[in-house]
Amino acid sequence: MIRVTAGSASRGALAGLQADSSRLASLQQQITSGRQITKPSDSPTGTVTALQLRSQLKQVNQYQANANDALGWLTTVDSSLHSITNQLQQVRSLVLQGMNTGTGNATSNEALAQQVDQARASLLSLANSSYLGRPVFGGTTAGGVAFNAAGSYVGDTGTVARTVGPNNAIDLNTPGTAAFGANGSNLFDLLTDISANLRTNPAGLGANLQQLDARQVSITNEQSLAGAKYQRIQSVQNTANTNLVQLRSQLSDLQEIDLADMAIQVTSANAAYQAALATTAKVSQISLLDFLR
Amino acid sequence: MSSSFSGLTNALAALNVQRYGMEVTGQNIANANTPGYTRQRAELAAVGPVTGVAALYATQHPNGSVTVSGTTRLNDPMIDVRARAEHGDNGYRQTTANVLSSAETLFDEPSDHGLAEQLNDFWNSWAAVANNPGDLAARNVVLQKAAGLASSLNQSSANLARLTQSVSQQATAATVEINTAATALAQLNGQIAIATASGTNTNALADQRDGLLLKLADLAGAQTTILADGTATVSVGGQSLVASTTASSVSVSPSNQILVGGTPAGTAGGSLQGLVDSLTTTLPDYAAQLDAVAAALASTVNASQTSGYDLAGNPGGPLFAGGTAATLSVAVTNPANLAASGTPGGNLDGSTALGLSQLGSSNSGADAAYRTLVGTLATDVQRAVQQAAVQQAVTNSVDELAQSSAGVSFDEETTNLLTYQRAYQASSRVLTTVDEILDTLISHTGRVGL
Repeated sequence: MIRVTAGSASRGALAGLQADSSRLASLQQQITSGRQITKPSDSPTGTVTALQLRSQLKQVNQYQANANDALGWLTTVDSSLHSITNQLQQVRSLVLQGMNTGTGNATSNEALAQQVDQARASLLSLANSSYLGRPVFGGTTAGGVAFNAAGSYVGDTGTVARTVGPNNAIDLNTPGTAAFGANGSNLFDLLTDISANLRTNPAGLGANLQQLDARQVSITNEQSLAGAKYQRIQSVQNTANTNLVQLRSQLSDLQEIDLADMAIQVTSANAAYQAALATTAKVSQISLLDFLR
Repeated sequence: MSSSFSGLTNALAALNVQRYGMEVTGQNIANANTPGYTRQRAELAAVGPVTGVAALYATQHPNGSVTVSGTTRLNDPMIDVRARAEHGDNGYRQTTANVLSSAETLFDEPSDHGLAEQLNDFWNSWAAVANNPGDLAARNVVLQKAAGLASSLNQSSANLARLTQSVSQQATAATVEINTAATALAQLNGQIAIATASGTNTNALADQRDGLLLKLADLAGAQTTILADGTATVSVGGQSLVASTTASSVSVSPSNQILVGGTPAGTAGGSLQGLVDSLTTTLPDYAAQLDAVAAALASTVNASQTSGYDLAGNPGGPLFAGGTAATLSVAVTNPANLAASGTPGGNLDGSTALGLSQLGSSNSGADAAYRTLVGTLATDVQRAVQQAAVQQAVTNSVDELAQSSAGVSFDEETTNLLTYQRAYQASSRVLTTVDEILDTLISHTGRVGL
């Protein structure tokens, strides 16, 4: 039989009380910090997973920012091309008018030619539309414009990529040459040609009309391409939003405490501690000395 | 037949013996709370007939007396041996857990401002540059984040170095404490040997000796042999520390090896071993892993930078200088010199920046290395803390066993006190009775008819 001595009884009681109060303190720490994992050793695997989730969360947030930036860029491309198409319709009707009047009316053709010149200036400015200071049809050019005043393409065909998801880099670039044609035969050269033909050679306008239609087709193509990219990015963004919610809830499950559960644990730990204190105080009062006279 | 007066002598002896018993009980009660005190018991023995006397002259009756044959220290030597072993292990586990927990506080993870989050921010700042390579503000953010990362790594490395230094100082302090205890034990051995030889009570000295032995076990996992004369021989890591009245000294070599009297000792156990193990294995391992994080960061980022082109179209240079956690610094000061473009010519290509922004998800980069470090540390700490808790429980239970045999129980002492008191009263009654008999014999015999 193990002898119970004053020393061993008080040591045992003290160790038990300390264990109880340290359990309370640890629960208290979790509740005040609101976190299950207050230090890595609370859960090594949880910590590593939390670090990974946090990294993913940051990355997805950045993908969202990238996607928003890409959508801004594509909106600029789309609205520019849309305005350009409208203007080209007007130019087309001017050309048709010029073809109808023929060489008969030099004054009216001169007026048409001037309108075409105006349209060219306006189209040039549209082709130099910029997003956050960068010409959207200029590729990766460091210069401020895609087309110079003479209407020559001064941009490049570099990639303008936005990463909108893991291994999902979308090239937003709509090179000026693809939409408006190669230097020497691009839209602006064509408009110069039309203006000149209106003034001097209305017979050439028939060919110009065909060229204009061909240019229109390539512009519409680029516009629909930009629209397709827009849709693709939007759908990626929707997926990413769902992903973001999932990641947040996973991280929260891992890191944060369940308040109801904690409240119950604290109450039971508190009760155990109080019971231990009460019995320790009662039991250690008694000894044989109490019963001797 | 015994002599007429032997009854008086016997009663006196009984009174003395019972009083001695009460004194021992009193000493036990007085020392109930003295640390290291072992309860004692007066050993009583009946005085038997003298042997070797011819049967004709020898008495057939009991001598009738009692004597104190000794005062026993009621410890359990087997439990004391176990207690020393468990204390040695406990010292090792507790110290290891303490050092590791201190190391853990240097890495505040998972949090919103730990190194992992700084790495995430750094990679994301590159994505902003990739989106708008011409924006100097975005490039400045990269430089700021890079500087923040470098200084965080520098700081972690410095903190780890400080912790290593403080552990090293603790080890030195532990050796001083061990040597003081060893010297005291050697002196005590001398006193015990003399006391044993002269037949004096050695119980108090033995209590002191056991206290020192437990301390040496806690600090250095000392192995003890207690010799027949009560002196203790102590060895640490297979090397003799205390033998009879000579004590060697324990020290820690510059290469963190435990030396006893200048000779390298084997694995010792105890706090000192825990400190030395942390100094030789655990802490350098973490420092190396932190360096690996810095090296991975510098090498991946610099490789990407040197293959890219800056805003002016010139080939990029390394962003980070230095390849260890302590020396990492940012080498670029002009934001325009950051390489974001993958092609020469001074364009606004962002492919290099884009590549950099993806490095965070690499399985072999700085992030993975850092996660490994935090994971290793967390597992180490958890294991050490659990082992320490288990060992503490084992040690407590052994201590309780030791207390159970050596500790003072008031109920028991009170009972003993009562027993001795009653025996004293009864012996007094014997004395009175014998006295009355003698009185009858001396004063009233031969006076018949008077």
